[in-house]
Amino acid sequence: MAARRIELMLCTGTGCVAGGAFRIKKVLEEEIARHGLQSEISIVPTGCNGFCGQGPLLVVMPEKIFYGWLKTEDIPFLVQEHFLKGRPVKKLMFTPPERKEPIPLLSDIPFFKKQMLIVLRNKGIIDPEKIDDYIARDGYAALEKVLTSMTPEEVIEEIIKSGLRGRGGAGFPTGIKWKVCRNEPKTPKYVICNCDEGDPGAYMDRSVLESDPHSVIEGQTIAAYAIGASHGYIYVRTEYPLAIKRMQKAIEQAREYGLLGENILGTGFSFDLEIREGSGAFVCGEETSLIHSIEGKSPEPRQRPPFPAQVGIWGCPTVINNVETLATVPVIINRGAEWFSKIGTETSKGTKIFSLVGKINNTGLIEVPMGITLREIIYEIGGGIPGNRKFKAVQTGGPSGGCIPASLIDLPIDYESLTQAGSMMGSGGMIVMDEDTCMVDVAKFFIQFTNDESCGKCTTCRDGSAALLEVLTRITDGEGQEGDIEFLEELAWAIKDASMCGLGTTLPNPVLTTIRYFREEYEAHIREKRCPAKVCKNLIAYWIDPQLCQACLICKRECPAEAIYGEKHIVHVIDQSKCTKCGTCLEVCPPRFGAVKKLSGEPVPPVERGMKVERKKKTATPLQEQSSA
Amino acid sequence: MSNGGERREKVGAALVVGGGIGGMQAALDLADAGIKVYLVESKPAIGGVMSQLDKTFPTNDCAMCTMAPRLVAIGRHKDIEVLTLTEVERIEGEPGNFTVTLRRRARFVDENVCTGCGSCVANCPVRFIPQPLDSIPPVKLAPEVQARVDQIIAEHRNRPGPLMPILQSINAVYNYFPEDVLRYVSQQLGIPLTHILRVATFYNAFSIVPRGKYIINVCMGTTCYVRGSERLMERFSDTLKIKPEETTPDMLFTLKAVRCIGCCGLAPAVMIGDTVYGKLTVKEIPGIIKKFQGANGHGQAHTG
Repeated sequence: MAARRIELMLCTGTGCVAGGAFRIKKVLEEEIARHGLQSEISIVPTGCNGFCGQGPLLVVMPEKIFYGWLKTEDIPFLVQEHFLKGRPVKKLMFTPPERKEPIPLLSDIPFFKKQMLIVLRNKGIIDPEKIDDYIARDGYAALEKVLTSMTPEEVIEEIIKSGLRGRGGAGFPTGIKWKVCRNEPKTPKYVICNCDEGDPGAYMDRSVLESDPHSVIEGQTIAAYAIGASHGYIYVRTEYPLAIKRMQKAIEQAREYGLLGENILGTGFSFDLEIREGSGAFVCGEETSLIHSIEGKSPEPRQRPPFPAQVGIWGCPTVINNVETLATVPVIINRGAEWFSKIGTETSKGTKIFSLVGKINNTGLIEVPMGITLREIIYEIGGGIPGNRKFKAVQTGGPSGGCIPASLIDLPIDYESLTQAGSMMGSGGMIVMDEDTCMVDVAKFFIQFTNDESCGKCTTCRDGSAALLEVLTRITDGEGQEGDIEFLEELAWAIKDASMCGLGTTLPNPVLTTIRYFREEYEAHIREKRCPAKVCKNLIAYWIDPQLCQACLICKRECPAEAIYGEKHIVHVIDQSKCTKCGTCLEVCPPRFGAVKKLSGEPVPPVERGMKVERKKKTATPLQEQSSA
Repeated sequence: MSNGGERREKVGAALVVGGGIGGMQAALDLADAGIKVYLVESKPAIGGVMSQLDKTFPTNDCAMCTMAPRLVAIGRHKDIEVLTLTEVERIEGEPGNFTVTLRRRARFVDENVCTGCGSCVANCPVRFIPQPLDSIPPVKLAPEVQARVDQIIAEHRNRPGPLMPILQSINAVYNYFPEDVLRYVSQQLGIPLTHILRVATFYNAFSIVPRGKYIINVCMGTTCYVRGSERLMERFSDTLKIKPEETTPDMLFTLKAVRCIGCCGLAPAVMIGDTVYGKLTVKEIPGIIKKFQGANGHGQAHTG
């Protein structure tokens, strides 16, 4: 491949594609051709860059200039100014909300600065659909090293020594799992890569498959060699069509290069891979359930032991590892267990990818060393909470995890400390919540989710989640009773004790942690019939402040329930009996008026109909306001 | 109970079908109200599932303590006649005045003499009587459907665990599982239909009722939820006049809540077909629906 003057790393992860990355690619190609720069500039469609909140985005190599929030109409100017005349375009660069001056270089942006890339080592640098790109970055070197100079036992020893633990959530030591499987006398053996990433709010597995599929193939082949397997499956959610497509392509390329299939690299070792799709059942992320799903059985979990490493798919010993775990393996082999075990804390080694989402300025995927504090993640990498709202809690571990309150912001993130705080590592979703999030409502949301996704095998999980939901719904509807909190706690522990699989034993966590850290919110709902975050519909009312309303008619026009009374120059009034509390009026009210208010726990002040508007000085006329909004 | 018009005089007897805990309680309440009750149960004894339980969830009450007094009360009640090993064959008449024909199977044991010692059970040499399978006629599909399904089956049948890939391919073609296609697959693969249905109804991506051309997947992942996806769902629901999981009468749209589509950076997000709409606000929804309706030559959208 000829060296080019400029390489454009255009992110084509799912987020940026949804934002129009391919449309931008087309315009870029046209513009580059128009200036006759084809021989100097190449466009590399990369996997997910991680800074999804800025998408669609582009990194210009070799300087590593970062452009975000691109629109097709910006492209001609960008090509002309930067690529032709060599003047980087400031207005397309990333500007943190608290600063005026943009940050041109990717490496200077705080979001990237604190990260440590091991699993995501190739993100945004290679074209995931080209195996040569991966090989050029030391790809498949670890596989070669393993096959030519290490015995399977040595590989397992190395992984045990590195302290690598399962990244799917539970954190079982990977090397030990491999060893158990290797020692099973029964053959054949299987390796399954678990990419049934069902936790809402987590998407790092998808991102790894989309940005660097070969690292997973390499890791899985090394695992196969270590345990003595000749066949493997990659189980991917059907909701990830792009990941499935790229993985399929990667497998075909690896076969073509002799890195999968019979007699790999001429060493006599044979291994092949197959993709299996899920069909949208959360419980399939549980390993025994996943096995049943591939086998075509009803995907209900079963009792362990025997563990899948002893009796797994088709009754044979099977290792099931998470995507992230497998993608870490080649790096450990290449750089040594000692190097890896120096990163992280005493019990949790290496790095972990988190998806930092929710009410946070810098949304995206981050890879950080274990032991980093929440404060560093939220304020340094994440750039704080938008709109100067107050940070309230962060939810980790999906529906199995819990909410960690702002008071624990200095908590180091590793498996043990998260469990101690009542949450768990889970797959690594980190959903940031601000003061506008109602914790009772969040607990209800998760229980709704798990109640829906419970497979129904254990009564405690099936009926217990329904009973939890009933009480939580009662509380958010303003009909909570004294004793409800105690009942929730008691029931939650019964469910934890008596359910079989991970789904049931962890589903009460969101309820337990929110009660533990936000008991006063529950009490406000029950005793004062008030929702402190002003979320729960039955406990709030929308009201237009007659002092602030400028009678611009926008809310009246947009109200789907036609509940707003008003005309030009006359203060608008919401008819509380018609209001469906959809919140549209609050959303459309121009921010500089800010006349629509949410009330909770207090009577709605009566407003007389037909009041004249008190005009502020220099207000825009309704027409101008609308066009600027 | 009377279907309007004149009231007929009711005969003072009631029939309770099923002798589980619910049937038992119903029989007792009726009998206490002075009505003669026939309690019919197809099993050899009343009691139902509750008699097999130790405790009941979520109150953890002792199952036998709940049931035993009722068993005794039924046995003693002069107005309750327990008919075990009995099934309802036919009901004639109208509400309030009807005749029921029951079929009672032979017990081969004299109930007045039996002490319930159980030795006959322990000593009977017959343990398992296989029932002859009714011969099921082969399912006939329309030729073009059969050709398509046959092709899908042929593609996957030799892989281990072929059912899931086959179901996924069928779902990709029809958006749902037509019943006769499932029956056909069952016969071709030799997998019982009940098993296939169990798998087919387990997953969110599958459906056994027809769905619209466009499936509107409103992401209800945590991030989208805290960023207000519930309101998007409400607006879609109001605009299309259907509830979640329902389909519009013109078979164009199915509204569906979906678990995290992994576009958390774009929350709240909605996926229609392969297109993701990120950072969506309720205001944009009528426009999106119109666009899809327009693509299908439909007239004006019903905007809410």
